[in-house]
Amino acid sequence: MSGTLPHGEARRLGQSERQDTLQSRNSRFAPGDTITVRVRRSDDGQLAEFRVPYRKWMRVLDALNWIAENGAPDLAYRWFCGSKMCGTCAVRMNGREVLACWEAVEPDMTIEPLRNLPVIRDLVVDRGPFERKVEALEPWLDRATPYSGFPEPLSHKDMKNASKALDCIGCMCCYSACPVIGLGDLTDFAGPAPLVQLGQTALDPRNDSAKVARSLSLTGIFNCVSCYKCEEVCPASIPIVTQVIEPLKAKAAALVPAMAKHSTALRATIAARGYVDPTALVLRVRGLAALLDLPRALRLLVRGKIDPIKTAFRRKTPASAAAARVLGQGRPSGDQPSGDRP
Amino acid sequence: MKFAYYPGCSARSTCAELNEATHKVAAGLGLDLVQIDSATCTGARELRAIDPVNFYTLNVRILALAEREGLPLMTICNTCTLNVLDAHAAFMDDPELAATINARLADEGLHYSGRTRISHFLWVLYEDIGEERLRALVRRPLTGLTVAAFYGCHITRPPQRYKFVDSRNNTALEHLAKILGCRPIDYSGRTECCGFHTAAHDERIAIKLTGQHIQSAKANGAQTMVTPCPLCHTVLDSFQHEIEKDMGEKLDMPILHLPQLVGLALGLSPEELRLDRHMIAFDPRMETA
Repeated sequence: MSGTLPHGEARRLGQSERQDTLQSRNSRFAPGDTITVRVRRSDDGQLAEFRVPYRKWMRVLDALNWIAENGAPDLAYRWFCGSKMCGTCAVRMNGREVLACWEAVEPDMTIEPLRNLPVIRDLVVDRGPFERKVEALEPWLDRATPYSGFPEPLSHKDMKNASKALDCIGCMCCYSACPVIGLGDLTDFAGPAPLVQLGQTALDPRNDSAKVARSLSLTGIFNCVSCYKCEEVCPASIPIVTQVIEPLKAKAAALVPAMAKHSTALRATIAARGYVDPTALVLRVRGLAALLDLPRALRLLVRGKIDPIKTAFRRKTPASAAAARVLGQGRPSGDQPSGDRP
Repeated sequence: MKFAYYPGCSARSTCAELNEATHKVAAGLGLDLVQIDSATCTGARELRAIDPVNFYTLNVRILALAEREGLPLMTICNTCTLNVLDAHAAFMDDPELAATINARLADEGLHYSGRTRISHFLWVLYEDIGEERLRALVRRPLTGLTVAAFYGCHITRPPQRYKFVDSRNNTALEHLAKILGCRPIDYSGRTECCGFHTAAHDERIAIKLTGQHIQSAKANGAQTMVTPCPLCHTVLDSFQHEIEKDMGEKLDMPILHLPQLVGLALGLSPEELRLDRHMIAFDPRMETA
């Protein structure tokens, strides 16, 4: 490139030169090529290297099958359907979570087990921690009122988000990719996969809100950092953040307000000022305890990172007037953008 | 080239140096930035989750203000960028939502028809300035400076917005660093998350995550890190003392806002770019080391 790029192209820089499309994967090979595959073995924790002959349209699973038949008959890996349905064959290929049955091979591949779950052997992980979390979330439908009779008042709009969550094949790719889950027990965040399982029924408007509130209070959902790592690796293309976690946050804010302290404080700050004053926000969320670390406050003050005068005396501005107009009209708008439900 | 300029909240408070530097660099690049004074916050992540219709309204209002000026919108924050892009997409996809929002905007004589082009400063460099002109404007190539590009999340994910199969394939910042004369380094944190969005209620996530990224940048030989997002900058720079305390290790990694890196190459001084407002000092002599 030398001159200006067409509008919209800069945000995709790297896509074509790095062949970042599924179609381009197989074009990296010629017949007769050999693939270098390194597999993490659990006996010694080391990578074992194999040279695998490339076959047209070869998938990661085909390479693993070849290794099991020709190089390492004791290699442990899991798969069942081979067609993106059962969700059992997820592994990490070159640092990215993929379904072995649905991912084209790369000329040079490092295959490792999923993160954030205990390894049973080689590429096989224990799904137990996930299953126990899901069980605790009571992910089923309970009606608060009896079935109203046929036809049931339920539209595609009501089920817009739940139906996306229902595409989940439970492969654990997102659970492995989640950086907050990667921090272990630091927080009570349930993680993307359990939240998607919960969303299948909690985002169904027929569900009993008392039960949904109970489930949500166990999720630590406001510890999601909104990084979209889960969406990026989801083989079922579920918009996990936008159509599952955010709608669940909206439910939590409505049903268990104490969970959403940060979100409601931010809303109040914008409504009052038009913009976010970070100091005002932190004080609203954490209270005066936030002031206790004086050396830190001083360091920030010296660099002009905080401005107590601006925080203490807010001015009326065109932006604050506009925000008050938009946000000052009562309660949050809920989780259905154009809500056609009563 | 004229843009409606949307600095966002961070560049008007915690990261005021970013706003100052952007104005200086824009002048050097021949960009005319028009303030849209009544623009509000885009709602960060919180409003968008708990109050979607009002979130869309605030964002479409910003787009309508730019449309009224007949100007494209330039942003300098990842999260603001994704918020206005998402609001534009929702507005175009859902006529009922669009009608609701426009009815509310009509109160103040505003209307959005979907024409505003949204561009982050990083994209403006490629699409409006162009590589050739940018090279010609470089007065002081940053030769020898090893830079770790920290993209953050919202400028390269979600996949349905930016179309990356693997967001690690984004090369916009490294390519730019080369144009400015720097040597970009590879490290594990490039497109990882800084954890900013939970920091107001629990900083530990941000501290733990970002500690890994700075450590990796340092181990791979970076003298400085550069980010297109003031929220990432806040964690990388303003939290670095707390990160060092948590890791029990001195990091001392200076963090530049993207316009500051460009400004240094254009020949602007560290003072003009307000590098003095950072918690971790950037030593300008590093460039020639």
